Amino acid sequence: MFVARSIAADHKDLIHDVSYDFHGRRMATCSSDQSVKVWDKSDDGEWHCTASWKTHSGSVWRVTWAHPEFGQVLASCSFDRTAAVWEEIVGESNDKQRGLSHWIKRTTLVDSRTSVTDVKFAPKHMGLVLATCSADGVVRIYEAPDVMNLSQWSLQHEISCKLSCSCISWNPSSSRAHPPMIAVGSDDNNVTYSGKVQIYEYNENTRRESTTSSGPTKFEVQVMAQFDSHNSQVWRVSWNITSTLLASSGDDGCVRLWKANYMDNWKCTGILRGDGSPVNGSSVQGAALGAVGSGGAQTQNSVVGAASAGRYV
Amino acid sequence: MEKMSCPSTVSGRTMFCHLDAPANAISVCRDATQVVVAGRNIFKIYALEEDSFVERLNLRVGRKPSLNFSCADVMWHQMEENLLATAATNGAVVTWNLARPCRNKQEHLFTEHKRTVNKVCFHPTEVHMLLSGSQDGFMKCFDLRKKESVSTFSGQSESVRDVQFSMKDYFTFAASFENGNVQLWDIRRPDRYERMFTAHTGPVFCCDWHPEDRGWLATGGRDKMVKVWDMTTNRAKEIYCVQTIASVARVKWRPERRWHLATCSMMVDHNIYVWDVRRPFIPFATFEEHKDVTTGIVWRHQHDPYVLLSGSKDSTLYQHMFKDASRPVDRANPEGLCFGLFGDLAFAAKESLMTGEAGRKPYPAGDRRYPIFFFKKPDVTEQFAQVASALSVFESESDGSSRMDWFIKTARRYLLSGKPFAELCDHNAKVAKELNRPQVSTTWTMLRIMFSDPGNPAPPANHNMSKLGNIPLMNSFNLKEMSSALNERNKENRQDNLHNLETNLNNDENEETEGSDGQAEYLFGDAELDDDDLYSMEHENQAEEAEFSLPQEAFPLRHEIVDHPAAPEPPAEKPESPQVSGSEAESFCLTPMESFSLISVSQLLYQPQLTPSFFSPVVREMLDHYAEQGDVQMAVSVLIVLGDRIRKEIDELTQEHWYMSYIDLLQRFELWNVSNEVIKLSTCSAITCLNQASTTLHINCSNCKRPMSNKGWICDRCHQCASVCAVCHHVVKGLFVWCQGCSHGGHLEHVMEWLKSSNHCPAGCGHLCEYT
Repeated sequence: MFVARSIAADHKDLIHDVSYDFHGRRMATCSSDQSVKVWDKSDDGEWHCTASWKTHSGSVWRVTWAHPEFGQVLASCSFDRTAAVWEEIVGESNDKQRGLSHWIKRTTLVDSRTSVTDVKFAPKHMGLVLATCSADGVVRIYEAPDVMNLSQWSLQHEISCKLSCSCISWNPSSSRAHPPMIAVGSDDNNVTYSGKVQIYEYNENTRRESTTSSGPTKFEVQVMAQFDSHNSQVWRVSWNITSTLLASSGDDGCVRLWKANYMDNWKCTGILRGDGSPVNGSSVQGAALGAVGSGGAQTQNSVVGAASAGRYV
Repeated sequence: MEKMSCPSTVSGRTMFCHLDAPANAISVCRDATQVVVAGRNIFKIYALEEDSFVERLNLRVGRKPSLNFSCADVMWHQMEENLLATAATNGAVVTWNLARPCRNKQEHLFTEHKRTVNKVCFHPTEVHMLLSGSQDGFMKCFDLRKKESVSTFSGQSESVRDVQFSMKDYFTFAASFENGNVQLWDIRRPDRYERMFTAHTGPVFCCDWHPEDRGWLATGGRDKMVKVWDMTTNRAKEIYCVQTIASVARVKWRPERRWHLATCSMMVDHNIYVWDVRRPFIPFATFEEHKDVTTGIVWRHQHDPYVLLSGSKDSTLYQHMFKDASRPVDRANPEGLCFGLFGDLAFAAKESLMTGEAGRKPYPAGDRRYPIFFFKKPDVTEQFAQVASALSVFESESDGSSRMDWFIKTARRYLLSGKPFAELCDHNAKVAKELNRPQVSTTWTMLRIMFSDPGNPAPPANHNMSKLGNIPLMNSFNLKEMSSALNERNKENRQDNLHNLETNLNNDENEETEGSDGQAEYLFGDAELDDDDLYSMEHENQAEEAEFSLPQEAFPLRHEIVDHPAAPEPPAEKPESPQVSGSEAESFCLTPMESFSLISVSQLLYQPQLTPSFFSPVVREMLDHYAEQGDVQMAVSVLIVLGDRIRKEIDELTQEHWYMSYIDLLQRFELWNVSNEVIKLSTCSAITCLNQASTTLHINCSNCKRPMSNKGWICDRCHQCASVCAVCHHVVKGLFVWCQGCSHGGHLEHVMEWLKSSNHCPAGCGHLCEYT
């Protein structure tokens, strides 16, 4: 079903994040070696590194693309307590000759006092809005009031989550029916705290973000399914574009694909390994719990995604 | 050097005590039982007890505070346990003898430096030798038996920030300077340094010799870097470089760990980091206890790698245990995963995870494939140093279901308007069928059958039949139509008996139907039912139809429809079984009960008074279902094609949501034309306004390069036609493409043609045109 194509990434330390752009033709990787690399897919399907530059003075945890309407824009966040916004400059013909494009730093967001663990652009309809979260449990929402000027960002909101945050996710829905929401996952390993996943909802009337904890309070969070077949820590999860397929990667070095059948039973439909070798136990059935109910599809998905991404949840 | 036993590998705990004032420097005595804390307003000795610090001695005595007590640095002699030296901010170098009987322990006072003394350093093996480095740029060597310095070394440059006697050479010491240089001196030759090299850009705040006398020198600077230099070669060679996140104020090699060193910063960052120089990007361990900048760090015992002491501006003195350190690498995500738009999956993971079990953390739930004794506990430091990630992209094969080709093709080929309703449905059903999506195809056909009903208040043009007219005829018409629909499908599946079927069905003379396989597939979306059952049902149906002779009574009519499960069934079925996808064959079975209910529904379906509103809830549920399953394309397409027939059934916000999602998807796949068509055809005001925004285009005249102010073709400044094709020299109407560099262009086809042969501008302006 899948063909593994290995890429010589040539990062000097761990790669912490991979991110496709809006159209799926570019890819950005970031690493502890403090650099970000941008990969472009050529017509023959090969990935070529077209830019590689030092972005931070610490491990770069996440990299994310802005909607192409705002240009070719990346945001990165790092252990060095900053997040940065980068823009690709076209027309530097010298670099183009060598097949390298030029990325320049538009801004550095220095408000955090601890490691910035995740950075995400808001859905396009909200404008150019960026959310960051940091290890001291603060979610910050920045906005560039002028989308043509990427160097001016104002801090709009600062939400204290009390727990060390590891990941955030915007509600991708652009419907007016759902207000903008951010799900925040925590990697706090203290089992006694509840609320490792929190959802913040932006309320236009009160002009502030109101909180919803992961308990069954205002926002109903249901367990759609639970998977345990990684037998190890699950580090990352990712949805496909139609939210029908979920990929999860665990500390066993494998990617597992999950799909719901007609009964909303989630089952493992594939196990992938980087070197293409067969995986022991591919026949293992995903221990999916029967799921009940079905909320607004997309919001639920983002919540579940964030929940699993917060890996100690 | 004498080897000492390690006193506290296990015992001890992380503890702290409050000081009265911020600390500037700390130092431990040789046997690691006491620590001295020095600062601007503090100079105390604490005893390190098992679980607390106990104040032993306050060296700040006397009525009037002397600047001699204001310490920038302190060092406890490593041979003589009663001897301490401090560097005072007023330029004095003071030694203290704890063995003195009176309260004032001050022994010597050297006031030779003119400015603050930044550092004092005892010789590691020579009892009486003390070295100082000062802001005034001089280093002085004192013999504690004399009243004044024995030699003065001039760095010939700015302030001295650190001086350190070498562990390897008896006579050598290193000095670091504010201008970024490091100098090596021979203690016997005060006239000139042995060697000098530029280590950092900006001040070098600290340096530290490797304790295992290997000639390694670590330096830390304001440029946030720690560099390790090999001094054994002729030229100082940089062998490692660690990039930290703040300027480096102190650096100390970790005892017994060849590659490790601890750093702290005096700006911004309050943490203490322990680095493995071989992995310079991520700290091996971090101590995060301090609330303000850490000013002094020292390993408690020179052979114990697990206990670190630190003093801070926040007026605390800490003992850090290594077991309580946070390990940033444990929290660092070793994997990246992202789904691409086309269903490809990018995956980056730590190589050790990908290749073997070696680097694997045991999981409580247990991987029971290997007994526990197979695990040789790997050396955590070795494991830490060797790390890399492998990046791979999993691309779905062309026939893979996760690939998004179907979406693009469907979007391109669907007809949403411009034809009668029935034709649109047929066309779309055909498209879906060709793309191997039988369920969607069936849905389209069903929709057509349901809403092509002449009883429909808004019937399509080609179905204008009187409602009260000959009902049987209407039914036969419907059947016929459906048969031909089936026939179309059969056409694709079963080329062999195509003609046979076609004639049969078209003539309404179905003595015998072949290709029931195809019909069975049509009925249930997938060829997964018991074929015999279907076959018989279908057969019966067709046979009935053949006998059909326009009876007037209701009964035969009903009877006939009873035998016609095809039409009503899938829509009635769908809400009950949300997804009948190709892979879930086992899930579907038609019980007698179900078929009974289906038949009863079908009886209702074709009653004359039946209106499309009867179907609306079903269709609405169906659309919801598709949207829920991630196929918002289907929901929107049906919504557009059905138009008013269904629109009122679905609330405006949901519609808008679907539209927005679909448009977003289309734009992701760069299907701009389809996206625009959808926007145009939508009835939601929020959607239609999408392509009404930013529709103004400001253009410049291609001749005189000035903005075109008026409407029309002629530039009112140079009075020439502005948009002339540079290739054919005719006025361009419609698509005009131009180079943004030289503003020449023309017909899209012409320019494309031109660019095949030349990169230069067709207008002859010499510009190397770039079209994006």
